[in-house]
Amino acid sequence: MIEGRANRLGNIATYLVAIPIAGFFLVPIVWLVSLAIRTPQEIFFGASRFIPENPTLANFWQVLTGSGFLTYLGNGLKLSVLGAFGALIVAAPAAYAFSRFSFRGRGAAMMGILAVQMVSGLVILIPLYRYMAWLGLLETHLGVTAIYIAIGIPLTVWLVKNAFDAVPIVLDEAAAIDGYNRFETFWRVTLPLAAPGLASAFILNVIFNWSQFLVPFIMLTDDDQWPISVAIYNYAGSTTATTTHLLAAACLIAVVPAILAFMLLQRLIVSALTAGAVKG
Amino acid sequence: MNKLSGAALRQSPTRRASPLSGPLPWLLPVLLMIGVFYLYPILDALRLAFTNASLIGREETYTTRSILAMLANPALGTVLRNTAVFTGASVIGQVLLGLAIALLVVRGERNRLPGMLALRTIVLTAWVIPGVANGIIWSMLFNEAPYGAINSALRLLDIPPVAWLSNPANAMISTIIANVWQGTAFSMIVLYAAIKSIDPVLYEAAAVDGARPWERLWFITLPQLRAALIVNAILVTIQTLNTFDAIISLTGGGPGRATEVLSLFTYNTVFYSYDLAGGSALSMLMLLISLGLACVYALFLPRPEAIR
Repeated sequence: MIEGRANRLGNIATYLVAIPIAGFFLVPIVWLVSLAIRTPQEIFFGASRFIPENPTLANFWQVLTGSGFLTYLGNGLKLSVLGAFGALIVAAPAAYAFSRFSFRGRGAAMMGILAVQMVSGLVILIPLYRYMAWLGLLETHLGVTAIYIAIGIPLTVWLVKNAFDAVPIVLDEAAAIDGYNRFETFWRVTLPLAAPGLASAFILNVIFNWSQFLVPFIMLTDDDQWPISVAIYNYAGSTTATTTHLLAAACLIAVVPAILAFMLLQRLIVSALTAGAVKG
Repeated sequence: MNKLSGAALRQSPTRRASPLSGPLPWLLPVLLMIGVFYLYPILDALRLAFTNASLIGREETYTTRSILAMLANPALGTVLRNTAVFTGASVIGQVLLGLAIALLVVRGERNRLPGMLALRTIVLTAWVIPGVANGIIWSMLFNEAPYGAINSALRLLDIPPVAWLSNPANAMISTIIANVWQGTAFSMIVLYAAIKSIDPVLYEAAAVDGARPWERLWFITLPQLRAALIVNAILVTIQTLNTFDAIISLTGGGPGRATEVLSLFTYNTVFYSYDLAGGSALSMLMLLISLGLACVYALFLPRPEAIR
């Protein structure tokens, strides 16, 4: 009896804390939506017009076609996907070695790769800026993609190694008995069976690349080349109070793909993240 | 039968000789990328710090003058203090809020309360938003015009408006709030997983002993989370130290230098003042601080042999 009542009180307390927290995290996004569907006049009503009287989708249309955001979306998607794909290609063999070979210095090498992740992009970009200029790769998507791949490698190696670890090693042995060499085993057995883990590593890379700002901000000055992150930053700099609704729409366009990608694959992504976290 | 013997034949002599039988070729692509995009640039930045290099090319000569000039720069003290305040407050805020939400979600799930997955999803949503968008969204919320989100809501409640971004002291607090909003999810998800992995036997034993909820939290959950909390705090510290996009799009470092942190200062030194040598010295300072923290981090990790 007493236990049950304490539990009910606990449940009420849980919601009393949970609801304000949910509000804190939700309100900024809802506010952005509210601004993005307002007419310019309604912007000036502030919070009293939280739900606009004349909601409109015209802002999105204007931003996408009038301000070049269709191009920026395309650039952002291209760079994110290429970067993620490249990171997988480079990281998967190393992840396989970390998962399937035992060799001296393996633990140290894995720690070393993790340590790389702590290096700020700014530290490497200052010298890289000069190399890229020298190689003629400034202002190119190729140069940006290469840096995205490099930045994505540490996380990808760890995630893909975890995915490979989950594939029973007896399958490798069975493949070896069937006459597969190491590469065939990797390519035809381990890789396909680790597909869900590879997919979540890919999606996480895409989301991180989508958010990436520093690299394209430093490398690309030509606005035809900008991904959406750089575009909204510059757009914010050029807008005024009378165009807040357009900036909100542009910002929402940058945010929604990331949220959608995350929502669709939340289970996969959370399990990939926590698999590593629990071990640590 | 036939197939098996064939496999054995093919396997035995050639396998040792195969270039792919050792780990090195498998690791090569990653090693190359890290060498080209991390090791060499870091060494080059270290070298540049000891030159008078400028972004607008000129003959470089080796000198320690750039480093000394940077150390004597009166802005550096302000920037380092901002960095410490921003990082310290963000880390405490994120880890505590992340822990609170993780405990809440786990408790809710144990009692089968609806809405817990929704709460977790909402928090994680803030995390996947690009940092630049985060800065823009919060600049709209903190907008000090009469129609700004928070100030217009305050007016509805008859509370006078707050100078969220134009007052230097407030600007730092506002920046920290925006950063905590985005970063909390990472702590939440790591601590959520850590709480879930605590052996339930401990709680059963506590229940037999008649432990109260707060006693369970204080004597079981928190001690069991110690390693996860420390590791998380240090990872968040390094992430926060490197934060750039959310600040540049929210305050741009202002007003004055009120929210200019080390990453922003480094960027400005190189790409506005064209002082490549000074910026390289600052980037080495960033690296040194991260490295120091990473060493602390390593102390709390399981030994490398323990990793499968």
